[in-house]
This record gives sequence, C-alpha cells and structure tokens, in this order.
Amino acid sequence: MTVMVEARQVGKSVKTHDAQLHILSDISLVIDKAESVAIVGASGSGKSTLLGLMAGLDQASEGEIWLAGELLNDMDEDARAKLRGQSVGFVFQSFQLLPSLTALENVMLPIELKQDPQARHKATQLLQRVGLADRLTHYPNQLSGGEQQRVAIARAFASEASILFADEPTGNLDTETGATVIELLFELNAEFSTTLILVTHDDRLAARCARTVRLSSGRIVGDSAKASPAENTGSVTEPGQESAQA
Amino acid sequence: MSATNHQQGLSNKRKGEQQRNTGLGLAGLIRLATRFLWRDLRGGELKLLTLSLIMAVCSVTAIALFTDRLERALLNESANMLAADRVLSGRQQPPREWLQEAQQRGLQTGEFISFASMVFSDQGNILVSAKAVSPSYPLRGDLLVADEPFGASYISDAGPAPGTVWVESRVLPALAIEVGDPLYVGNATLTVAQVLVQEPDRQQGGMMENAGPRLLMNLEDVPATQIIQPGSRVSYRYLFAGEQQALNTFADWLDAQPENEYRLRDVREESEEVSEALDRAESFLMLGSLFAVTLAGLAIALTARRYSHRHFDHVAILKTLGLTASQINTMYGLLLGILWVVAVLTGSIAGWLIHEAILALLGSLMQVALPAASITPFFIGALTALLCLTAFALPPLWGLRSVSPLRVLRKDVAVDGSSQWLPYTAGVGGILALILWYSGDLYLTALIAIAVSLVFLVLALASYLLLKSGTASGMRAGSAWLLAKSALSRRSQQSVLQIMVFAVTFMSLLTLSLLRSDLISDWQAQLPEDTPNHFMMNITAAQLPGIESFYEQRNLEGNPFYPMMRAALLTVNGEPARRPWDDDEQPRNLTERAAEDSGAGTAAPASADESGQAATVNESGEVGDTESVRPVTRQVTWTSSLPPDNEVVAGQWWDEEARPGEVSVEQDYAERLGLSLGDELVFEIEGQRVTVNVSSFRTVRWDNMQPNFFFIFSPGSLEQFGATYLSTLLLEGEQKLMLNDMLRAFPTIVVLEVDAIIAQIQRIIFQVSSAIELIAALVLVSGALVLLACVNATLGERYRENAILRTLGASRQLILRAMLFEYAFIGAVSGMMATLGAEAALYFLQTQVFEQAFRLHIWVWLAGPVLGTAIIAGIGFAATRRVVNTSPLLVLRQLAD
Ligand SMILES: Nc1ncnc2c1ncn2[C@@H]1O[C@H](COP(=O)(O)OP(=O)(O)O)[C@@H](O)[C@H]1O
Ligand SMILES: [Mg+2]
Repeated sequence: MTVMVEARQVGKSVKTHDAQLHILSDISLVIDKAESVAIVGASGSGKSTLLGLMAGLDQASEGEIWLAGELLNDMDEDARAKLRGQSVGFVFQSFQLLPSLTALENVMLPIELKQDPQARHKATQLLQRVGLADRLTHYPNQLSGGEQQRVAIARAFASEASILFADEPTGNLDTETGATVIELLFELNAEFSTTLILVTHDDRLAARCARTVRLSSGRIVGDSAKASPAENTGSVTEPGQESAQA
Repeated sequence: MSATNHQQGLSNKRKGEQQRNTGLGLAGLIRLATRFLWRDLRGGELKLLTLSLIMAVCSVTAIALFTDRLERALLNESANMLAADRVLSGRQQPPREWLQEAQQRGLQTGEFISFASMVFSDQGNILVSAKAVSPSYPLRGDLLVADEPFGASYISDAGPAPGTVWVESRVLPALAIEVGDPLYVGNATLTVAQVLVQEPDRQQGGMMENAGPRLLMNLEDVPATQIIQPGSRVSYRYLFAGEQQALNTFADWLDAQPENEYRLRDVREESEEVSEALDRAESFLMLGSLFAVTLAGLAIALTARRYSHRHFDHVAILKTLGLTASQINTMYGLLLGILWVVAVLTGSIAGWLIHEAILALLGSLMQVALPAASITPFFIGALTALLCLTAFALPPLWGLRSVSPLRVLRKDVAVDGSSQWLPYTAGVGGILALILWYSGDLYLTALIAIAVSLVFLVLALASYLLLKSGTASGMRAGSAWLLAKSALSRRSQQSVLQIMVFAVTFMSLLTLSLLRSDLISDWQAQLPEDTPNHFMMNITAAQLPGIESFYEQRNLEGNPFYPMMRAALLTVNGEPARRPWDDDEQPRNLTERAAEDSGAGTAAPASADESGQAATVNESGEVGDTESVRPVTRQVTWTSSLPPDNEVVAGQWWDEEARPGEVSVEQDYAERLGLSLGDELVFEIEGQRVTVNVSSFRTVRWDNMQPNFFFIFSPGSLEQFGATYLSTLLLEGEQKLMLNDMLRAFPTIVVLEVDAIIAQIQRIIFQVSSAIELIAALVLVSGALVLLACVNATLGERYRENAILRTLGASRQLILRAMLFEYAFIGAVSGMMATLGAEAALYFLQTQVFEQAFRLHIWVWLAGPVLGTAIIAGIGFAATRRVVNTSPLLVLRQLAD
C-alpha cells in the first residue's frame, strides 16, 4: 500500500493575546491510497485545523507531515501551493467558489493550472456529471447552495487529484440537499479512486467512510483502524522535543 | 514501512511532473485577470476604481492640454509684448558682434533705437517718442497700420521703408498734415507713409519711450537726422527670438562675456505686472491638477482597498487551488496593467474632448489663437495614471500575496500585518511624489508634507472627539438617531476615516474655489475697467487751474494731482540711513520709473527743449553724482487725503488740520529701513534739510499701475519747494485725440500712455481667470468621485446590517432615517473640519505661494458645515436607498458566497 498522508506526532499551537493555545497535540496518523477516512469530533475539537495541516494549507508547530510523498515541513508556501495544485482537491463548508468566474470557469481553473488544453471539455463533462449541464455560464451567486457545492465537487475532481479533503461539505445545506451532495461525492470518489479525508460532526456521514478518526480537544481519542485508541498514549512527546528524523 | 512508501510516492510524483507542466502560464494568467476584470467591472466592483483612474487621466490630460496650449498662447502673447522672446537694452549701444553671434546660433535678431524728439511740419510741431527699427522688427507679434488716421487697421508685413515714417493717428492732426506729406525729424525730411495703429511692444522699455505718440522710422535714416549726439538720451534695444534651448545657451554665453553689464531679459523681467499674473496662474494650475489627481488618487486608494478586501477570499481559494504568491502578484499586476491601458485610452480621449469643449466655450472670448497641443500632456496623463496605480492601487493588492490559504477554513485569519501599512505609506508617498513632480519645488513639497500631516492628525483627533460627544448628546432624538448613533460608534474607526476623507475632499474643493474667487477678485481690483491709462507728468502749479477747466470743457474726469519732488533720506534718528536694497538707486515702482524717464519731479523740472534743432530730451540732474555712499533718493509727495489703494496699517493718517513735519512711509520700505513710528527722519531736498517724524505706515498696491509713493509728507511740510505735479487720466478710443489739444495747450506736460499695457494685462488676466474656472470645475468632479467611492466603501456592510435589522423587525422608514442621520452627522463634522482646514491652507497658500493678503471668509464658516451636511446626506441617502430597497433575503444570500 502507498501511504498518501502521514502525520507524526503533530502538534499545533497558536499565540493568542494572553497565552499559547494548544489546538492539536500529538497527532499520529497514516492514511493509505484510496482510503476513505472520516474525522469526527465536537465543534472546536480541532478537525478543521488538522485538515488544514494535512492539506498543506498551514504549517504544523511540531511533528512532521508527509503529503503525497513530500515532507511538508521542508516546503515553503509556494512549493506547498504547487503540491496542492498537483495532488489535492478541496470541498468546503462554504463552497469557496470564485464569484468572478462562471461555474464552468471555476471548474476549468484547476485544469488550466495544469496547462491542460482540454480544460473546457473536461470541465463541461464534469459539470454534466454533477447534473449542472444547463448552468455552465451561471455565476455562483446565481446558483443555490446545493448547486454551488456540486460545482465545488466538480472542481475538486477536475484536477484529477489523488487526495480529496472535504470540510463539513453539508454544513451549509439542508438535509435533503446535503444527502444528494454526499451521494455525488462518494460516487465520484469511487470512480476516480481518490483518497478521501472528510471532516464532519455528523456520525451518519462518518459511517459511510471506511475508517473513522475521532478527535477531542485536539487529540485523537479513537481510530477505527487501530485495535485500541489507548495505543497512542504511549508516544507522547514533550513540545519542542521533536523527533530528529528528517 | 512508511519511509519506503513515501519514496515511492515521491518517485510517482516526479514522473507525473515530467508528463505535465505545473503552473499557469502567462497566457492563462492574462485570461484569468481579464475574467476577473470583466466580471468585477460589470459587477460594479471595479467600476469606481476605473472611473477614478479615468478621471485622473482625464483631468490631468485636459488640464495639461489646456495649460500647455494656454501657456504657449500666453508665452506668445507675452513674447508679443516684447516683440521678441528676449531683449537686451541699454543707454549705450551694446556690441554689434552679439547680434552676429546670436545669428550664428540660429536665432533671429532685430534692433531698434528709441528717443524722444520734437518733430515738425510746416504747420506745427509735436513731441513724439521715436523708434528707429531694423527691417526684421518685430520678431514676434504684428504691426497694425491704417491708410488714414483712425481708419481701419490691417497687418503690415514689414516696417517703414527707408525715407518713410509711420506715425500714430493723432500726430497727423497735431501737425496738420496727411499721409504722404513730409515731416522733419532732426535734419532729415521723411515721408509719412502709413498710420501706425499698434505695435506689439508699445509699452516696453523706459517710460520715456512712451512719452508722446509713436513715430516709427527705419534704422537706416537715423544718421541723417543727426539727432543722436553724445549725451543724448537714447535707448538701444536688441531683439532675439528662436528656440528656447538656443536662447538659453546664448544667454549663458552673454553672461560669460567679460565686463558685460547687459543681460538678456524676458517678459517676466520686463514687466512685473505680467509676471505676477503668470506666476500666480501657473501656481494655481499646478495646484489644481495636483488637487484633481490627489482626489482621484484618494478615490483609487479607497476603492482599491475595498477591492483587495473583497479579494482576500479569492486569493485564498486560488492559493488552495495551487497558485503561487508570484503568480497571484502577476495576475493582479496584469489586471492593473489592463486597467491602466483602458484608463489611459479613455481618459486621454475624454481629456481631449473636455479641453476642446472648453476651448469652444471660451472661443469667442479668447483673443489669441491657441497653438496646437503637444504630445506631452498625454504623456503626463499616462504617467499620472501609472503613479496613481502604483501608489494607490498596487499596495493594497500587493498585500494579497500574503493572504494565507487557511482563510478558506477560517475567515478570521489575519492578513500579514506589515502589508497593512504599506498602502498608507505608499499613498502618502505617491501624493508627495506627485506634488514634487508637478511643482518641481522640494521646499514647497516638504512644507506641504508637514502641513498635511499636522492637519490629518488634528482632523483625526477632532473627528474622533466629535464622534464621541455627538453620540453622547443625541439621546433624545428618538430611535432613528439612536440607531445612527450606535452605527457611528460601532464603526468609529471607519467613521473617523470617512470623516477625514470627506473633510479632505471638501477642504480641497473649498480651498480651490476660495482661492479662485480671491485671485480673480484681486485681479479685478488690481486693474478695474476704468483704470486711468495715461500718466501726466511735469505739470507746474500754475498749469493746474487750466488743466482742471480743460477737463471740465471736455467732460473728462480728473484724478488727484500729486506734487512730486526728489528727496534724499540722510539720517534716521541722527544715524545715517540704511540702504534698503543692495543694488539701490533703481527706480522702484511705476511712478518712479515714469518720473526718472520723463525727467520730471527733479528740483528743476526738465522740460522738452523746444528751441528747435537738437530736440532730444537731456539726461536730468543725476549724472556725475558718483560718490560711493550717497544717500538714496526717492520721489516723494505730500497730500492731505490718503491715496486710493493705500491702507494705513500703523499709526494715524493726518486729518483735516494736519501739522507739517509728518511723513507716512510704505510699510515694507519702512521695514527695510528699520523704521518705527515717531522716528525722526532728515531729508535733503533742493539742498535744504527737512526734518519730519514718522506718523504712519501704509500698504500700497504696487501693481495697480497708479501713482504710488514710498514717502508721503503731511501738507505744509514741503510747500516751500518747487514741485511738479503728477496726475492720471482715463482716455478711451477717440478720446485719445484730446491729448493733442491738451499738449497744444500745455506744451511742457509729458504724457505717458499706459493704455496698451493695461489692456494687455487685462487680457492675460482674463485668460488666466478662465483657465482657473475650468480647473476648479474639474477638481469638483474628482471630488465627487471621492465622495462616491467613500460612501460606496461602506455599502457592503450596510447591506448586511440592513438585512439583519430588517429581519429583526425594523421598518424601512426607520433604517432610512437612521442612515440619513448618520450621514448628515458625518457630513456636518467633515464640513466643519474642511472649513477649518481650508482656511489654514488658504492662509499658507496666499501668504507663501500667491503673495496675496489673507482674509478670513466668514460666510464659509456657515456654508461649509451646511453644505457638507447637505451633500453627504444627499449622496448617502441616494446610495443607501438602494440598500434599504433590496430584500433582506437577497442580501443575506449574496453575502453568503
Ligand atoms: N488561528 C487560530 N487562532 C486562534 N484560535 C484558533 C485558530 N485556529 C483554530 N483555533 C481554535 O482552535 C479550536 C479548534 O478549531 P477548529 O479546528 O476550527 O475546530 P473544528 O473544525 O473541529 O470545529 C477552536 O477553538 C478554534 O477557535
Ligand atoms: Mg471546522
């Protein structure tokens, strides 16, 4: 099995005006190719932060993260951006479409980033696939939330990324719309055999993933892939005393 | 296990990289930039920014085009006043090689000799100011001639041929001859070939050259007249015209000539009155385009800031999708580049049209044909737009590169702190660069920089305090005011910014329009329509009653007669008097120049020698008086009533029963002499000493072309001395003929005709005034754009608030009224600030730059805040009506993306 994402004793802390706030501590996690993982936990438990770190949107304070075979710690923001453009797709709670571009242009963008001359063709096909063939030239503010999220899903798969990160993709949608969007997400995921990392606080949604990782107060308190969650507690590292391996 | 697996992943990826090139190429970035631009332009996002940019280009180009052409027209006009671009003149003939040198340098040259002389016919005689010109005269401007006295005039290609003369109309009746008849100048007999109507440089040179009607003759005929003898009062003038560059190097060459006391002079040095008008106009035009651009820049900065804020999220998304910081920079750089091209193109065309429209409007009034425009104004416009973009729009967009992609997950991720200040620093830097560029004056730029930062500081503090007190005191005004109040304090930082922007805008507009009206009214006061345009000098006391009755018979309105004599200031409080100027002994004002040149006002009045043959007027008294420290002499007078345009600023003007022994001194001159009230001055007049005490200081309008004096004595102080009198007279058109009668009746009087120069200055002032009006209007448009941009900058937030308030049950009426209150308050405060700021700016500008007297503009103190309230409330109301009329649901949905 190829490892797609690996986190080793990762910690994240931010400086607030009065104190150092530890958002994540001692996260170790290995996700293989084509695996589908749900990260669950209460609101504020650090799910989005973990997702951001694994996707290379932010830098970890401690520990190491590999993404698609590259050690993120060694890379600057530009290198990480290139890696994201190459290997990573995103679906967000708030859709994050570019309001200045039409649905088609939004989906074309990641394909164009790869200088693929087929961008328009591929994007049109993807939008057909998500059922928006008649909305190609619409701007995001002319689309409903569900439609916007479907455009976002089309965009996420457009780059033929090997890993897909989804942060509460149904959070802004009503149950019914959410359900259709989720269907679509899993269908496409199967088609493209993408590695899927899905953040949610919805246990039913988590259940559709092969594996569930549970976060609480910034620590992993459960991982369905492991025999027992207690296994993790043995390898706590002191902050700042990171492993020396590079 | 993982290490090997990672290696594998890595090599997989490397392979992939070879297959497809990563990253978006330039073409792709351009495509993206145009899409963004297109969408944001249609969506209104960039509309204001583009409009402001176009406005900056448009106003700068229009102003530059207009001033370029006007300036060259004025330059032509003023060159006409010299009949050349540069002149050189003296009482002695300058070396003739200089003319050859100038010709070798590609300059046109010409020369003339002028002198006063009696000319005769068989029937009579008249004192004329003769001018013997070379064939190339005039190098600039035209000679207007007529075939008969007071006949229709036309342009003549050449001056008088050898053996002929041209004379002004009134010479002919005075001599009882007609065109074609002979006339005697010295020993030469010359034929009157034409009637001279106008010569370009009629008023240049010493006043002597303008005493009496003009006689124009050929330079070749001068020797035959035998008029010019050693000691004759003659003035020589060389004329030069050509390229600026060649003129300048020639001037340098001249300066380098050994023992050369001649200097090449242009019209500014020749005529103080004209140079002052030109200087002020240039300063104003410079200031106007500066204000226009600064305001446009402010609008650009505001809109660009808003634009970049709106784009934080876009950038985060683009980064998430894999765009690097440099690609983002390139994309926004391209976006600005496209915007620049669009703005330069449209702005230049609009600027051209506007300037053409204004020329068309002014066309009938403009008396000069404007030369074609040069390319420079377009270049200036394009460069200004570039500067605006780099200083005002680029910095906020530059900050976008540092937006963290994490924003896609968390909206509150801060934008890199250092880039927050960049826009302000760059904006201020940009404005200063613009000021420096337009003014070319480092000192002025530094002064403005300090003044502006002080004003800003005070404004910020004051508006903050006012906001605090305003929100605390308005409690009783009902719920709409409560809402407005809470909105103001909720957005206190933004409100302060808004007030400052409005205040600065109003301040610019107020400053410029007040300056405009002050300048124009000042000019109108300087030379009103009925300014007397003839100086009469050398009048004896015995002639006064005769002249008065002469006026009465012809319905002429006389002006006061000033007795005039030369007085040397010996001591001040017993100490020898200081020299007020290092290079003194120059006539210091029109009155003295006139007196010096006419030889009037000396102890023994020199009159024209009427005995016949050697009919030049001789140099008066002062020759041979060459001791190194001789006292400074001035033309002085005595009078009981304060002359018009004089104002006593210290001490007291004497009343009806004035005591002898008092003197009133011009303020500036008194300062140079170090005088204070009550000082005892000893003068020497006609070899006698006169002791007087300083009883008052006066200000004087030197530029009003009227009799003015440094020293005015109280009645009775000088009556024992023989004075000649000076007076002025307004003669227009046909009235000029009466001069003949007057000169026949009072042959010793010398008349200086300053009508042409007054008309010329009035014309220049008119042109300059129209230019000033235009620029004030353009700045007004730029100001309006800023107001719009500033109101629009907060609209997004207002949409959101309105939606929330509406869902909470507030009525549209209530929200509308609350917004009205809020804007009215902001408008009132900024109007107040603007008034304060404008008065401060005016004080600085008028005293330091325009050399005008500063007066407070009381009515503005009321109008400023009222107008501010009305305008801001109006604009704000119009803009927010849209907000309130949009359904809250739509708003909330639009805000979601
Ligand atoms: N940059 C940051 N600055 C301050 N606090 C942060 C930052 N990022 C995350 N947090 C805090 O860390 C906690 C976890 O956040 P998040 O990962 O968004 O949780 P989740 O996605 O599980 O709801 C929250 O309490 C959040 O306020
Ligand atoms: Mg979250």
